[in-house]
Amino acid sequence: MGTASVQLFPEFIAETLGLPGVIGEVVAALIAAAVVGNVVLAFTGVAGPWAKRKITAAFTDRIAVNRVGPFGLLIIPASAVQLLAKELIVPEGVDRPTWDLAPIVLPASALLGFSVIPMGRLGPINFHLADPEVGLALVFAFASIASVSLVMAGYASNNKYSMLGGLRAVAQNLAYEIPLIVTAMSVVIFAGTLRMSGIVAAQETVLFSVAGFDIPSWYAFVNPFAFVLFLTANMAEIGRNPFDIPEAPTEIVAGYQTEYSSAYFVLFYLGEFVHVFLGGAIIAVTFLGGAAGPGPESIGFLWFVVKIWGFFLFTQWARSALPRVRIDQLIEIGWKGMLVLSFANLVLTAVIVGVIA
Amino acid sequence: MSSEQPFITDESSVVTETRDSRMEGQGARFNSRLREAFGSSPFILTKFDKFLNWCRGSSMFMLQFGIACCSIEMMHTYAVKHDLDRFGSGVPRASPRQADVMIVPGTIVSKFAPRMKRVYDQMPEPKFVVGMGSCTISGGPFQEGYNVIKGAEEVIPIDIHVPGCPPRPEALVYGVVKLQERVANGEAAPVTVKPYELEEFSDLERDELVETLADEIEDDELVMRYNFADSP
Amino acid sequence: MSLEAPDTPDTDAADEHTPDELAALLGDLVVDRDDHLNAPGFVIRPDTVQETLSVLKEQAGYDHLSVVTAQEYENRYESIYHLKKFDDPTQEVSVVVPADTDDPVSESAEPVFRTADWHEREAYDLMGIEYDDHPDLRRILLPETWQGHPLSMDYDKDRPQIATLPEHANPLEDHHKDAKSDTMFLNIGPHHPATHGVLHLKTTLDGEQVVDVEPDIGYLHRCEEQMAQNGTYRHQIMPYPDRWDYISAGLLNEWAYARAAEDLADIEVPEYAQVIRTMGAEMCRIAAHMLALATFALDVNGDFTATFMYAINDRERVQNLLEDLTGQRLMFNYFRLGGVVWDLPKPREEFFSKTRDFLDQLPGSIEEYHNLVTANEIFQMRTIDTGILPPDVAKDYGATGPVARGSGVDYDLRRDDPYGYYDELDWDVVTEAGCDNYSRLLVRMREVEESAKIIGQCVDLLEDWPEDERTIQANVPRTLRPDDDAEIYRAVEAAKGELGIYMRADGTDKPARFKIRSPCFSNLQTLPEMANGEYIPDVIAALGSLDIVLGEVDR
Repeated sequence: MGTASVQLFPEFIAETLGLPGVIGEVVAALIAAAVVGNVVLAFTGVAGPWAKRKITAAFTDRIAVNRVGPFGLLIIPASAVQLLAKELIVPEGVDRPTWDLAPIVLPASALLGFSVIPMGRLGPINFHLADPEVGLALVFAFASIASVSLVMAGYASNNKYSMLGGLRAVAQNLAYEIPLIVTAMSVVIFAGTLRMSGIVAAQETVLFSVAGFDIPSWYAFVNPFAFVLFLTANMAEIGRNPFDIPEAPTEIVAGYQTEYSSAYFVLFYLGEFVHVFLGGAIIAVTFLGGAAGPGPESIGFLWFVVKIWGFFLFTQWARSALPRVRIDQLIEIGWKGMLVLSFANLVLTAVIVGVIA
Repeated sequence: MSSEQPFITDESSVVTETRDSRMEGQGARFNSRLREAFGSSPFILTKFDKFLNWCRGSSMFMLQFGIACCSIEMMHTYAVKHDLDRFGSGVPRASPRQADVMIVPGTIVSKFAPRMKRVYDQMPEPKFVVGMGSCTISGGPFQEGYNVIKGAEEVIPIDIHVPGCPPRPEALVYGVVKLQERVANGEAAPVTVKPYELEEFSDLERDELVETLADEIEDDELVMRYNFADSP
Repeated sequence: MSLEAPDTPDTDAADEHTPDELAALLGDLVVDRDDHLNAPGFVIRPDTVQETLSVLKEQAGYDHLSVVTAQEYENRYESIYHLKKFDDPTQEVSVVVPADTDDPVSESAEPVFRTADWHEREAYDLMGIEYDDHPDLRRILLPETWQGHPLSMDYDKDRPQIATLPEHANPLEDHHKDAKSDTMFLNIGPHHPATHGVLHLKTTLDGEQVVDVEPDIGYLHRCEEQMAQNGTYRHQIMPYPDRWDYISAGLLNEWAYARAAEDLADIEVPEYAQVIRTMGAEMCRIAAHMLALATFALDVNGDFTATFMYAINDRERVQNLLEDLTGQRLMFNYFRLGGVVWDLPKPREEFFSKTRDFLDQLPGSIEEYHNLVTANEIFQMRTIDTGILPPDVAKDYGATGPVARGSGVDYDLRRDDPYGYYDELDWDVVTEAGCDNYSRLLVRMREVEESAKIIGQCVDLLEDWPEDERTIQANVPRTLRPDDDAEIYRAVEAAKGELGIYMRADGTDKPARFKIRSPCFSNLQTLPEMANGEYIPDVIAALGSLDIVLGEVDR
């Protein structure tokens, strides 16, 4: 499996450790998944308690954490342990298995999404767990499980604010999932494949050269319109400002996660950030050439990291600067604006690709 | 006015009882059953305790809780110039379930006290309270008001009092940092048994007042009974 | 947005009536005269309240019911309706309604003035006067289970009390047409990030839409009126006004008390002190409006975002100036009856240059807010045409300040009922005709610019003030004892609107009755008008645009 030239991460582990047979493949896959999962979790760990505060602080002329360890970095273990060690309150009247599952489903869905993301090479290792035919479809399928989690949390919490948050999450996801996927389809038309590695490979050619610099044919450059559409829909999909209405502090307290404390809250918090990074990863793969960047291919992973952190920065920027839209306006934008635009984009792309090809 | 209502009540029993009941819960906040099972002070647990205390002291989530005048200065404390977040304690959470520290910034009045108790009860342990301003100490300038609770400690236990009317943001920062220090050093805050508790209406003593209200209040409704004559 | 000129004053209504003309107009309704220092007072029978007020409202043009004051005498209860005209607030009239001590019942003014609803509930709550024909006479500030009426004479403050923590029922439960239609009851507050303190909104939702909202107040009722009645005029009352509208509007509030007490005791304030007062008050207004902007951004943006931080930063700058001037950041206690407590800080040049620096950077910051907030399409989408408050409704509810001016009601006591040094200075009253959340915010932001203009002129004046004429306080007797039974109602334009004080002297050094007319109290009443039928986020935005401060609503 996989394109011939690229060795996937599990295969690399199986080969390096010399694990034979089916069992070897399973063990290697588990190890690889654990490594990738931990890398992603490490990002969120840095992002949640530290980077988010530092970035927001920079936008608002503040300093933020700087007393706990160098640059306040020790806030990361401190916050994590402190939150996990808190009392886990199970409010009266919650719908038990659902209530417990919701905080697990959210980060799980986002982490699953990373299984098909080609994150580029670091030395001999190619951070890419699996490369199925339907990679892009799969990643959207995984990512949208998140809304199920939000509904579960909202419904099971026995709290009206949570309920409102859950309902808003559904409405929002329905309104934005379709434009998101339709816009992604235009990329698929360009690339001619749903396979993630294929999409990345299709962006390697040179679009044009300016003063000796080769501009690669990243789809963000090929079709900036689709890129903007996708970026917007993605912001709504991951529920960041100006589309953070399922959480909407100051309106519905903390939305679906109002009743969650301690470890469950950590899981939600984590899940949200993994989702932001997954959103960034999807954008990087579909529009920003995946792990491509200047320098040798063996540091591609670093470029990938830069891209997803760039997206994270973008979300925080939007959070600092933009007001939140209202739920009805959001749905209006989704169904009346984005959907039409994304179909227009799809048709246009199809025509262009058809004519050129 | 003030001559009718002595600053310290002659009824010393109330004060004594309150103090005694406060002593009882001392330390229960940090001592777990696991710890009891392991005996006095096993190395690993004390080190773990220390680490945990450090974590708790280093990272605190604040409850977004505004009551009165002091909340304005509290906002300033979160904001640019004073930036409480520098000390790792500047993340305001709107939901009490996710907060560690409740800053009580203002006067507590009869109608609000049960609600504040409810919010406090909704916070997960370990939880800490910073009493901001004179009103949370004694009722402050409004002490003689017919409707004012003479200090937040009548209702919930307070770990750190920051005096002032209102305290400057610097003072609040100092208070919060002191609290962090105390928590990091494992200085257990006493758990208070409060003179004003939430009770079901039917559990109250059947005195004249309760009889009068019997038609108005359901038996299982939660109520808070104030003994204004007894409170200091 | 449309910028139509506000309604031109109705010339008939603006016609001045002499007290005798009014008495003639009311005819038999008047049983006695009880003139106050500020206005003629007509005593009427308790069952002719509606009739009297309608005559005054419709035939004499008294369309603004400022406040309802209730008080108890040895032999009677009394409700006073302080009426004014929105077109000319210097034309005032008081309608005095005595009620029997044993059975204090009086007719409600609610059908004539909607604003009387809450004012009469408060009178009932604190004083125990019952109002016939009132739609919903319940306690408003104290818990419903409270025993006794605390401002009445026979109240025993030592008796135990019980406060409940009830489960609220959906008030529309019975209105559901069939099993399928359903509404949800939602408590917003008293602890909620968007209520700006401890306000409780009993909200009924149909999906995301609000079908009914009822503000429930009293979670910060700190007995301010009792506190003031226990204090002596000269020194003990002045610290409390700072704590009514605690959003740095301290000096504005102090001025309300100072103005009323000075007029009551006939004290002349030196001109130099008036200029300092004017400057300090406008600094407070800037600070207060900056916080309004900050919290409004908090409500619309969510979280502690950039706008919030920048606005708080600007507040910090004003507060530094105020601290230089008064010695405190928030609770200034700077005014004294007859002047201010001390002169400008020395060296004066430094204070002036600091103030000028602030004024110089202010246009830059305001432009930044306009870029960040008011010019933002999403923000406009959220706030324009939401939370509509038509001018006639605003007047009916007695809304004043930026709330009224955002609805095109051209009413500003600084210009219409001049005090301090305002009438000597060059500035404009800001109005917007949009009637929506956006207009109210714009009014505040433009008022900041006007305040800056005023401060600039005051600084120029103070700088050139001859050194031997810098009198900061008039000669005021150590103990003030205004004449027995002198009554006065005086208002100033505070940050939120008309902040008025009613005082009755009884010959001692403490007021016998001290009533605060809080602008927020009246403004908050308009919330259901603005919110019903809107979405939850709009209710939050409308609440933010009202810019209430609970210390002043509950007092």
